[in-house]
Amino acid sequence: MALERPQSIKPSSQLTLLCAVLLLLSVAASIGLGAGAVGPLEAWSALGGGGDAQARLVVLTLRLPRTLIAVLVGLALAGGGAMLQAAARNPLAEPGLLGVSAGSATAVVIAIALGLGHLHIIVAIGGALLGCALVLGAARLSGRGDDPVRLVLAGAALASILAASSATILLFDQRTADEVRFWTIGGIAGRSLAQVMPALPAVGLGLIGAAVVARPLAALALGEQVARGLGQHPQLIRASVVGCVALLVGAATAMAGPVGFVGLVVPLAARWLAGPDIRRALPVALALGPSFVLLADTLARLVASPAETPLGVVTALIGAPVLVLVVRRQRLPSL
Amino acid sequence: MSDTRAQPSVLRARPPASPPRQPRGYWRLHWRGLSVLIERRGMLALLALALLGAAVAALSLGQGSVRIPPGRVIAALLGAADAPTTLVVRQLRLGRVFAGAAAGAALGMAGCLLQTVARNRLATPTTLGIDNAATAFAVASVVGVSTSLAPAAFALTGALSMLALVFALSGPGDTRGYRFLLTGMGLGAICGAATNIMLARAPIDAANQAYPWTVGTLNNRAGPTLALLGWSLLVLTPLALVLGAALNVARLPEPVARSLGVRITQLRVGAIALAGLLTGLAVAVIGPVGIIGLAAPELARRLAGPRSVPVLAAGLAGASLTMLADLAGRTLCAPSELPVGIVAALVGGPYVLWVLLRTPQGALNA
Repeated sequence: MALERPQSIKPSSQLTLLCAVLLLLSVAASIGLGAGAVGPLEAWSALGGGGDAQARLVVLTLRLPRTLIAVLVGLALAGGGAMLQAAARNPLAEPGLLGVSAGSATAVVIAIALGLGHLHIIVAIGGALLGCALVLGAARLSGRGDDPVRLVLAGAALASILAASSATILLFDQRTADEVRFWTIGGIAGRSLAQVMPALPAVGLGLIGAAVVARPLAALALGEQVARGLGQHPQLIRASVVGCVALLVGAATAMAGPVGFVGLVVPLAARWLAGPDIRRALPVALALGPSFVLLADTLARLVASPAETPLGVVTALIGAPVLVLVVRRQRLPSL
Repeated sequence: MSDTRAQPSVLRARPPASPPRQPRGYWRLHWRGLSVLIERRGMLALLALALLGAAVAALSLGQGSVRIPPGRVIAALLGAADAPTTLVVRQLRLGRVFAGAAAGAALGMAGCLLQTVARNRLATPTTLGIDNAATAFAVASVVGVSTSLAPAAFALTGALSMLALVFALSGPGDTRGYRFLLTGMGLGAICGAATNIMLARAPIDAANQAYPWTVGTLNNRAGPTLALLGWSLLVLTPLALVLGAALNVARLPEPVARSLGVRITQLRVGAIALAGLLTGLAVAVIGPVGIIGLAAPELARRLAGPRSVPVLAAGLAGASLTMLADLAGRTLCAPSELPVGIVAALVGGPYVLWVLLRTPQGALNA
């Protein structure tokens, strides 16, 4: 139908404006606020090259990299969550809840224990791929993929197995335990840009893949038969979604550790704002994700200032009540 | 859901093999004017599980850095062995084995009650977030307060308040019990986050001290808590048995159960409170090993069949499984030791996956 042609999948101008304003505000907050004595105005002048050396040091070497990393993590997790939910047709399919992040984190722990810490981006992506394929594949093989709660419980079981495995490794390897004690909580404090550079191609590739696969995925949402009739290959679409999600979530986990609930809260808000069609929801989720992670990270700096609260804790404290609220609604919202 | 095999078949053409006064699959005991029906399969399952528990306990008492054959273990328990053996068995190992058995029994019974009330086989202390809450409270008392308030008391408080919160928040009228589970998972995630904050911000000594509470181990069992658990089990087990028998009728669809005169709300509240108490006491001794509460009732149901709510069998199975997990953790990679919680998660996690993936839609009802 003419009405469903591309012009209607563009987000409305109010929505674009809202997302842009939110992103600008959160970037400004992330650069301007922090535990140090550098206030917002000082921070902005330091960014332009003014201010004293102390302020420039804080802003350019601490807050700016942190802001960029938060944007990348937000893009990756929100995109991964939105794709996974559309492919599983399950509003609760969140990378953290399904054990994808846990797979990634366990793989990194194993790699560090084996002395392969420098490969951790690739290893994290591999772990995410394995976790994703395991949960979705097992659920599909036994024909239980459509039951939202069962998928989440399977993910929780997988996550608990993986957590126990990494706990076993850490028990015998004190050096690795020290190295990953903070990383496994999830946080982006103290990461330098050079450390996260290797994750950049993975995020880029994942996002390009997401853009390509969004249209077939929207067709798949109409049902397998219809998608076939429209000339799509459901298995191929699902496989490429799993690949994209693994790239995005693996890269995000390598950068920030397992940060949960971003992939639940952000796509939920995006669907609420833009409707269930993945072609509309994905861009909105990608715009909202960085804002969410930036705000959570800024909160993480300020809540217990001068100490840091781990980012994963803040997102869990925001996201878990959202999960409870979603579940409390009379019907589970369907996709 | 009741099982169709449990209902008498009206359409059967040939007469039943046994006389009509004694239903198939039951033993009838007479004494003067009293007669009791005993379910045959359930009784055999109880016997088998009790034997299994005794065997595992004897094995567990004998294994360790000093190996003692089962015969001498029994002799030592009866006081008829040489002094060193008696010391090892009675002083060093008996307390640990008893702690495992008691905590496992409590978790098994609690899991059985919870699953029956929530009408879902996956409702356990772990999936309901009770573990996480108990851990968070215990860690708070280890880390947050400089004079160590008894972490066990805090764990008990945490477990009870979490259970109340989950059932209050998830609301009524959910036949498949899914809302319980997801609400519990969400609240559990909050508690997990709180634990992480405390562990990350605590000095390293306090964090190490709190570590046993985050994995579940039999190393830190405290005397008074264990004694409390033991005495409570003596009181609570008969109560659980009575509730289990009453819940058997409540497994029918709710209107049917109501019309049979079951006070379903009171029964539920009682069962939930009892399960919370049992879980809290167990977690206060052993830490977050709630997966026992999932596996034990499953094993008990498999053995005892669908005719009753196998509370006692679940307790026995839980005791055996916990002792087995502890035995495996102690012996598999000796001289170092895997905490019982990790062994349970490594074995129990795949088991949950298996239950989830092979059970047909709608058949997860306990």
